[in-house]
Amino acid sequence: MIKPLRKTHLHEFHKKTARMTEFASFEMPLWYKGIIPEHMAVRNSVGIFDITHMGRALITGAKSEAFLNYVTTNDVAALTPLSAHYSNMCNEQGGIKDDFVLSRLEQEKFLIVYNATNRTKDYEWLVQNAKPFDVKVEDVSDNIAMFAVQGPKAQETLQKIADLDLSKVERFKCGWTKLAGLEGFVSRTGYTGEDGFEVFVWNAPLANPTNAVKVWSAILEAGKEFGIEPCGIGARDTLRLEAGMCLYGNDIDENTTPLEAALGFVVKLKKDKFIGKDALTKQKAEGIKRKRVGLKMLEKGIPRPHYEVRKGGEKIGHVTSGTQSPVLKQGIAMAYVSIEHATEGNRVAVKIRDRLSEAQVVKFPFYDPAKYGHGRQK
Amino acid sequence: MRVLDYEIPDKLYYSKEHEWVRIEGKEAVVGITDYAQKQLHEIVYVEVQKVGAHIEQFQTMGTVESVKSVSDIFAPVSGKITKVNEELTESPEFLNQDPYGKGWLARVNLTDFNKDLEKLMTAQQYCDYIKGMEE
Repeated sequence: MIKPLRKTHLHEFHKKTARMTEFASFEMPLWYKGIIPEHMAVRNSVGIFDITHMGRALITGAKSEAFLNYVTTNDVAALTPLSAHYSNMCNEQGGIKDDFVLSRLEQEKFLIVYNATNRTKDYEWLVQNAKPFDVKVEDVSDNIAMFAVQGPKAQETLQKIADLDLSKVERFKCGWTKLAGLEGFVSRTGYTGEDGFEVFVWNAPLANPTNAVKVWSAILEAGKEFGIEPCGIGARDTLRLEAGMCLYGNDIDENTTPLEAALGFVVKLKKDKFIGKDALTKQKAEGIKRKRVGLKMLEKGIPRPHYEVRKGGEKIGHVTSGTQSPVLKQGIAMAYVSIEHATEGNRVAVKIRDRLSEAQVVKFPFYDPAKYGHGRQK
Repeated sequence: MRVLDYEIPDKLYYSKEHEWVRIEGKEAVVGITDYAQKQLHEIVYVEVQKVGAHIEQFQTMGTVESVKSVSDIFAPVSGKITKVNEELTESPEFLNQDPYGKGWLARVNLTDFNKDLEKLMTAQQYCDYIKGMEE
């Protein structure tokens, strides 16, 4: 029997206004107006995404910090209450089980937000590894709605419906706030490269979409003067790719390590024992053989997943994500290439159907960070 | 004529893969239909075989890419390409804006159109075909 697709609180809104698609067993909006206008709204002003399909779990208990330090690669002790960081969970071989954002709500209470694709796997992995630590792992995915409000006008938009002073919430900090009068939580994080917030509607059971719909509508209304666009997972993908952020399943998986994926900044090998530490320590000492890099096409053509990357007639790697960059209007890709070819500026070729097209290894993000992204010059 | 949200000009012939054919003497102009461009949405790249290439009905004659997807273009007729729409290299969005006009793909010197025609649809037949798919 075919399992029916899961739906978010906003399903009625999406169905009326968007082209829908299947993503990680959810029926989600692919685009409303179009990937390019939605993408550009986020780069130039503000957009809102329904990301309720993502997994959310609360971890509580006196030993929650110790547990999370054991099961994740980043340094959880460095995380102060109401701050967040990007991190990975690895298997014993150092392969990435998932990447996610971890927020410390209180000294002994954490919120982890992981990929929709890995909801069941991650929850089970956490529960299984939590046993010796006597901590509580609670899946709250179906009780909390989650939106992303992203772009240079995100703060101004959200401030209209939030009682918390958002100008005081720095990047990778969080806070409790009323949102359109309802209990909410915000973190200054995202998956677009832009400034913006991820917004949690705390009391929003899937069975009763009222609260989630109220906050979504209030944000759309608040952003009207800035030309806010509801954005689908199409724009979410092109935005994260331009920013150089990984998509689990494409760019990282259990057969790639954070070191190969150029995510070494979230691996704290000086920590006490954590899952994957031995394998990663060894790999670091021996040196990685391949690395995730950015490729910018120097000719027309769009690189796509699985296309071969070549140098001097030899295969040196393959593309894991690729698209036409709406900002650059050029083909861009993430690819794994053998380490000797991973140097910035190196010219390589991407095999697009029956033709070799020239590309160059570039650093992330693909766009000019002085013009776009959270660090742009005002 | 129009069916649902799609424009389907009367005097063209259509393939099940959503290409159109306009006969001009011994040649045909071919392209993708309004239905095809609306399904693909936001076309950002088009590639058609070069002038002089022989194409066979229902064999690949090119590629069209939207932001998200890559699709083959299947030749609706057999023959030799005599001209391709070079403007599409710089302006692939013509396929979205004007699929039966500025978005034409190629001109083809026909091998045997009567034979091709057996497997093509009239505008009315194509309308019914679209209606059947959308149900």
